[in-house]
Amino acid sequence: MTVKFNYPLAMIAFRQLFNRKRQTFLTLLGISVGVMVLITAVSLMDGLLQSFIQKIVEIAPHVIVSGEKVKPTVPDQLVDSDSSTQVRMIKNVSRSDQEVIKNYPRVETLIKSDSLVELVSPSVSIDVIGMFGTVSQPIQLFGIIPSLENGIEKFSQNMVSGKFDELEKTPDGILLGSTVAKDLTAKTEDRMQLVSPSGKVYSVRVVGIFMTGINDIDDNCYVNMRLGQNIGGFSPDETSNLYIRVKDLPKDGIVARTIEQVTNYKAETWEQKAASVVALFKMMSGIVYFLVFFVILVAGFGVANVLITNVLEKARDIAIMKSLGFKRSEITLIYMLQGTMVALVGAAIGCLLGFVMIEILSSIPMVSSSASAIRTDRLLMGKNPVYFVAASLFALIVSLIAAVGPSRNAAKVNPVEILRGER
Amino acid sequence: MDDPIIKLEHVSKELIMKNGREEIVTTILPDISLDIRRGEFTSITGPSGSGKTTLLYLIGGLDKPTSGNAFLDGEEISSMDEEQLAEIRNAKLGFVYQFHFLLPEFNALENVMMPMLARGRVPVNEAKKRAAELLTQLGLPDKLHNKPNQLSGGQQQRVAVARALANNPIVILADEPTGNLDSKSAEVIYRLFTKLNEETGQTIVVVTHDEHFASETKRLVHILDGQIDSDKKLR
Repeated sequence: MTVKFNYPLAMIAFRQLFNRKRQTFLTLLGISVGVMVLITAVSLMDGLLQSFIQKIVEIAPHVIVSGEKVKPTVPDQLVDSDSSTQVRMIKNVSRSDQEVIKNYPRVETLIKSDSLVELVSPSVSIDVIGMFGTVSQPIQLFGIIPSLENGIEKFSQNMVSGKFDELEKTPDGILLGSTVAKDLTAKTEDRMQLVSPSGKVYSVRVVGIFMTGINDIDDNCYVNMRLGQNIGGFSPDETSNLYIRVKDLPKDGIVARTIEQVTNYKAETWEQKAASVVALFKMMSGIVYFLVFFVILVAGFGVANVLITNVLEKARDIAIMKSLGFKRSEITLIYMLQGTMVALVGAAIGCLLGFVMIEILSSIPMVSSSASAIRTDRLLMGKNPVYFVAASLFALIVSLIAAVGPSRNAAKVNPVEILRGER
Repeated sequence: MDDPIIKLEHVSKELIMKNGREEIVTTILPDISLDIRRGEFTSITGPSGSGKTTLLYLIGGLDKPTSGNAFLDGEEISSMDEEQLAEIRNAKLGFVYQFHFLLPEFNALENVMMPMLARGRVPVNEAKKRAAELLTQLGLPDKLHNKPNQLSGGQQQRVAVARALANNPIVILADEPTGNLDSKSAEVIYRLFTKLNEETGQTIVVVTHDEHFASETKRLVHILDGQIDSDKKLR
């Protein structure tokens, strides 16, 4: 090896490692595998979360306005205040516990006046029973204005069969989520029945089936706004929700707060809606990282091991270096450098292996499972340089911590004892 | 020339060994005073365990006296801390031991460069040049790039001498430098030391068992039980 001799400490560190090829190699392997496993795990967990968020952002409303009031309704005064008796009461007219947005076209205009809002789509939600042949099952039904809702949920891109445009042209048409279609065994052009909460039966025709990959959405079915309002018993200017897409996503929180102030209706962002799923993802990630942490920890023991052996075996050389005028701090540095070298080379190899691992894993076809929040045919691996930097940094820190003990012991070597002990 | 380059004033050294809870104090040097002048070639002899090696380590600042003062080149080294001593050892002293103690991972040239680079006071190119010169002077011009295990015992010891000379030390301290060599190689080392002392006036202190070697030096100090038994000027 011809390496420049400008830095004697680094040279000593390097050559001592290089002279113990097998042990150094095994230690490198430990670090590499640790870094690889860490990168793969982070990529897997982060990939799942990111693709979930991306999907949501792509096909779910950014802000959902519901009929719930932010501030409670002010009681109506029934008797003039100057009279001796006062009676106050809240009108008890709410339909079961359904909360609705009244006079929604006005609210919609109000919301649209915010320049950050791209699209507002009213949506009536009703719990119904769907029946096809002998199969019946509860369905979350939505009454929508197809052209508007398509701008939010992007049905037309996710059609499995039929045409999305048909819905607008078919007053009694219904669009089925793939999960519902599978459960009911219904196909496009089939006729099926919906039973409303009040017990009325509506006959509808399946115009298409869609699949987004997000199970929450694929469980839903969609009809035209008018039909939805009829089934749910809403008046023509009432809706249960307004779905909003914002122009600049990070500002969805601002939009939601503005809407709450202006309309007094509760507005939730997708982050709030998806919080529980995101939290679940984070908890899973936490468990995985915790396990991977031990892999790196074991690699750290490897580093400590190679350094302890080096220091023990090199006690004589350390003594001689001290007698030549190397200081304690420099002896410490030699072994800290060894820890750093092993960590850096190990991390570099680990990054390479991690990259290969991600490529391999993300190319393996997988049977989709309906148990997860999103459905895919492959593992969704995240690809972000940050994983590599973070994993390398972590390996470096663990190695340096592992190197501290042996390095200090090296500095403590008493040259007199060693030089004397030789005879 | 009259002020001593090495001066020991009533120096004592005790070793404390712990045996369980008991502490056993062994006195190696009860009280010793010694002056060595610039340019002297002194040999220290004495039976094993007489304390001659300890004396050498005290002179070289590798070990500290229990009491008394040790001076090197006018500076009191017995009161210095470890970092200061490392500086002094690097700048003013050259050590040769019974075993060559070369760093096995480095070739002869690099081993000789090591003290020059340790404190970074010599640029790499200059260090390399000087190391090559020294090794050539010591008769190893064709062994510059050999690793220690590719050299004979005598050659290894000559590399060690070159390393001791690297920083132009004011004193060379040698501890049984021929103790591990055959008589022919030992002879080469004697002549080397004698030549160094005669030609450059290098101060040399050698601890040795070898009567023949001792008789070649200019001053012979015999140690017995940690005390100076005799101190003879030979030439």
